[in-house]
Amino acid sequence: MDSIQTETSMTTTRMPGKILIVDDDELNRMILANIFSDDYEILEASNGEEGVRLLLSDIPDIAAVLLDVMMPVMDGIQFLEKVRSKGWNGGIPIFLITAESDTQVLSRAYALGVMDTIAKPVVPYMVRRRVDSVIELFMARKRLRARVEEQQHQLDEQARRILELNHSMIEVLSTAVEFRSAESGSHVKRIHDITKCLLLNTELGVGMSYETIEIIATASIMHDIGKIAIPDAILNKPGRLTAEEFEVMKTHTLRGAEFLEKIPQMREHPGFVYAYDIARHHHERYDGRGYPDGLRGDEIPIWSQAVALADCYDALVNDRVYKKAYSFDEAKDMIISGKCGAFGPTALAAFKVAEPAMRKLYAVKEIQSDGQDIS
Amino acid sequence: MDRTYLDRLRLEGLDVDQALDRLMGNEALLGRLLQKWKEDQSFQALSEALDEGSCEKAFSLSHTLKGMTGNLSMTALYELFSRQTELLRGGDVAAARDMMDRIRPLYERMKAAI
Repeated sequence: MDSIQTETSMTTTRMPGKILIVDDDELNRMILANIFSDDYEILEASNGEEGVRLLLSDIPDIAAVLLDVMMPVMDGIQFLEKVRSKGWNGGIPIFLITAESDTQVLSRAYALGVMDTIAKPVVPYMVRRRVDSVIELFMARKRLRARVEEQQHQLDEQARRILELNHSMIEVLSTAVEFRSAESGSHVKRIHDITKCLLLNTELGVGMSYETIEIIATASIMHDIGKIAIPDAILNKPGRLTAEEFEVMKTHTLRGAEFLEKIPQMREHPGFVYAYDIARHHHERYDGRGYPDGLRGDEIPIWSQAVALADCYDALVNDRVYKKAYSFDEAKDMIISGKCGAFGPTALAAFKVAEPAMRKLYAVKEIQSDGQDIS
Repeated sequence: MDRTYLDRLRLEGLDVDQALDRLMGNEALLGRLLQKWKEDQSFQALSEALDEGSCEKAFSLSHTLKGMTGNLSMTALYELFSRQTELLRGGDVAAARDMMDRIRPLYERMKAAI
């Protein structure tokens, strides 16, 4: 072992039962051992170096260290410096047992973290009492810390389960909506994965934390949530939509944003801003000719641009009620040449970087979701 | 432990009751510690270090002897080694060597008694 870990493990709190005596004088060691040997196992070292070795190899079992100051090879102060450099954080109480009256040495020892100093020649009952009460205090502290850790672990686990549940509920809801337009359940998963891929690997995600990217990817799942308000006849019409029908179809962006706004828990969620922007603006175009707000250029939030790209790409490489699937190469060309959608230079540059990885996402998905696909 | 033996130690300035208190009444341990003390070579080494004028070495040895005599409650010897240790800490080798004339007879008598 190379560092001093005084933390307890997650589930077990073993109570240490050994006392390490570091003193070059054998008489001193024998006297101290005699005081503690009925209740503790005694480890003895005749200099600091040996003491460090014994301490490092038996940390979880050592309840306290009784340390002399004046020793050959490595003295008490050097011992303290050494164990400090190895990461000792005060988790094991160290007592200076010394005839030393030099206040400079003593204050240095205190600064290095010794618990207490006990004068030599020792008074046994006093030594025993002082050492015992500190060991008891440290054990109580250790038990408490283990308990807190255990509870923290449970809380983290609960939080993780709630997050997972949230995520799957969002997925279920979005899949239900997509299902109406005969989309597969894997469409929402792909939008999530492509959006995440674009933000993680390209300029588009610069300055975003991993957590933020994860939140945006989850929000992307709800981009078409407003389609719940679009009549079947329009949503699933095989042929071209009339101008009036298209006007109705376009409202799914506003309906989606409204829908999200009406759920109070959603409004307070850190992902709300992203989900709202994505639902509302994923049909905006960089040239300003998109809907519903006709935003232009960088007025369109980055996350909306990323999801628009993901949605466009996924629509091209899959069958839709109104068209057959294009190959990856065709889809790539159509997006870059502006035949499908209109994206800004940053988004297109990012797309070129991420497209090979996006393609791989499909290969994996097809294998994984084989047989589960509802389309 | 034999009463007359303990009385002899008392006579040479060893506070037997205090020493046994420190050992939690463990007479066998006291016997073993006294043997260790008798066999210990620190005193000879201290004499040599003082004759050589090696202050650092002498300080360390005097300090050791102070600790031992303190632990064994050899009151008079402990007082003397304590003073010697402080002299050597201050670098006064000559004064520390002069003290040896007072320490040596006490040391020899104690050794003989053990």
